[in-house]
Amino acid sequence: MNKMNKYKLSIFLSVFTMCIVLVIVLYPFIWLFLSSLKFEMDIVKFPPETLPERLTFSQYIRVWQKLPLLTMTRNTIIFSTMTTFTNCLLCAMGGYAFARIFFKGKNIVFAFVLISMMVPFQVFMIPLYIIEYKIGILDSFLGLLLPRLTWPFGIYMLRSFFGSIPKSIEEAARIDGANEYVIFWRIMFPLCIPAVLTIGIMTLVNNWNDLAYPLILTNSIQMRTLSVGLAMFVGQRVIEYGPTLAAAVVSLIPLMIVYVFLQKFFVRGVVMSGLKG
Amino acid sequence: MKYSKKRINSIWYSPQVAAWVFLFPSLVSLMVFVFIPLLTAFLMSFFDVNIFLSSIKFSGFSNLKEIAEDSRFWNSLKNTFQYTFLSVLIGTTFSLSMALYVSKNSMFRKLLRFSFYAPVVCSMTAMGIVWSILLDPTIGMIAKWTQMIGLPKMEFLKNPDMAMPLVVFVSIWKTFGSAMIIFIAALHAIPNVYYEAAVIDGAGVWIQFRKITLPQILPVLGFNVITSTIAGLMVFDQTYVMTRGGPLFRTETIVQYLYSRAFSISPFRLGYASSIAMILFFIIAIISVILYRSFLKNENRVSGNE
Repeated sequence: MNKMNKYKLSIFLSVFTMCIVLVIVLYPFIWLFLSSLKFEMDIVKFPPETLPERLTFSQYIRVWQKLPLLTMTRNTIIFSTMTTFTNCLLCAMGGYAFARIFFKGKNIVFAFVLISMMVPFQVFMIPLYIIEYKIGILDSFLGLLLPRLTWPFGIYMLRSFFGSIPKSIEEAARIDGANEYVIFWRIMFPLCIPAVLTIGIMTLVNNWNDLAYPLILTNSIQMRTLSVGLAMFVGQRVIEYGPTLAAAVVSLIPLMIVYVFLQKFFVRGVVMSGLKG
Repeated sequence: MKYSKKRINSIWYSPQVAAWVFLFPSLVSLMVFVFIPLLTAFLMSFFDVNIFLSSIKFSGFSNLKEIAEDSRFWNSLKNTFQYTFLSVLIGTTFSLSMALYVSKNSMFRKLLRFSFYAPVVCSMTAMGIVWSILLDPTIGMIAKWTQMIGLPKMEFLKNPDMAMPLVVFVSIWKTFGSAMIIFIAALHAIPNVYYEAAVIDGAGVWIQFRKITLPQILPVLGFNVITSTIAGLMVFDQTYVMTRGGPLFRTETIVQYLYSRAFSISPFRLGYASSIAMILFFIIAIISVILYRSFLKNENRVSGNE
């Protein structure tokens, strides 16, 4: 009987602890969403309340006048969807070449990719800034896109994915006279669409949320992405809280929707990197 | 004419050429935007370069000498190590303990998994703004709660002694879900018979964890420690959004400092900032190698025991 009670107590304690952690994890989201529906004076009063006394959508209307939210959202969407698209294609192409084709210098080229995977962006961001300035693509979409066309990590992951596909599938096509391009595009690429999607989602999230990279490579308000724009406006301390919170909600919603519907791919990406790395 | 077209085709379709065609765009992009900048960063650390690129002078090791006497650099290095140590130690322990609970399947645990991973998807900027308002001493919820339970009025992020621990807390809040998911996958990969055998032998929960779980997940533990250490040494977003390096430079990290040196404190010294970047690069490389070696050694020892 005593043992039974002890067991029940431990279950109760663990569930209780988990509920506390759950509240700490979720509360900021709830607070953000509810506060974006408050009037400015209700946000800045002390003591604050979690639940709004009066609801208003005015912050979501004012934010368009207070911040260049439309421009920022447009920039973020263009930057992150374009890089996602090119990453999916180029990483698959690179991964396929490394996994399925024997060519001269393969080891050296692969070492090159591995090294560029391990060099942190922060280390070479200053020369990157100078190079973009010299070429004249600083503060433009081209300048944001070109360095992120491909992703060494994605090439590395898709290489091991392509490597796991049985050789017989490819051989049948080769006997029928198909060349490398046909084999890649018609047979191998469709087979690895789930893995490519995983890489695509990782790219989307990384680039949508990135701060340091677009912060350094853009300098006009016209080119700022959501995360940079928000960080800059908060830094100025002249901005009101309401519109900032509304903008934060706007910046979070797209990825949240993607997360809710494609949770499987998010988790798979993380697991893939952890177990293979 | 027909012959040459055939020839072109045969070159174009050869696997050798196809491989280079597939790799060409990626390699060009990596070459121009990773490798050349990396080499330039190395070279630049021996030059004096201002942001307008109007005066470029060779200065040898004078940047390094200056860094050695730059108290703000040493301060940022100390802060970075402090951040890295705290976030890796607490973050890894916390995500592992969460993973141990959440790894089994039930509706409640699935909900927990779903929720714990949600902050990973969000931008540090948005959530950093949220946390800095929650932690605001004059309008924040947390100030209200701490006063409700009778604690004295606190300044949170504006208090030099509390700022760094709070930044670490918010970072762990934001990222522990990612390490947790990797731990869960590793835990699922452990064959159940090990635990069944241990239970028959009368091993308790703690012994089971020490003797079965920990050795089995060691490679993944190593992966998580290495990646979070590297991320910690490069920390920027958190401090940029929440504290801008303040108060009293107590949260200024290396990347934050080199960013300021290059782009926001006049004179904008790109060469000097590049020297700092190269030092950071070598620190990261050395620490990664040490960690990699030590986890690899452990792995061998464990497999040797079996």
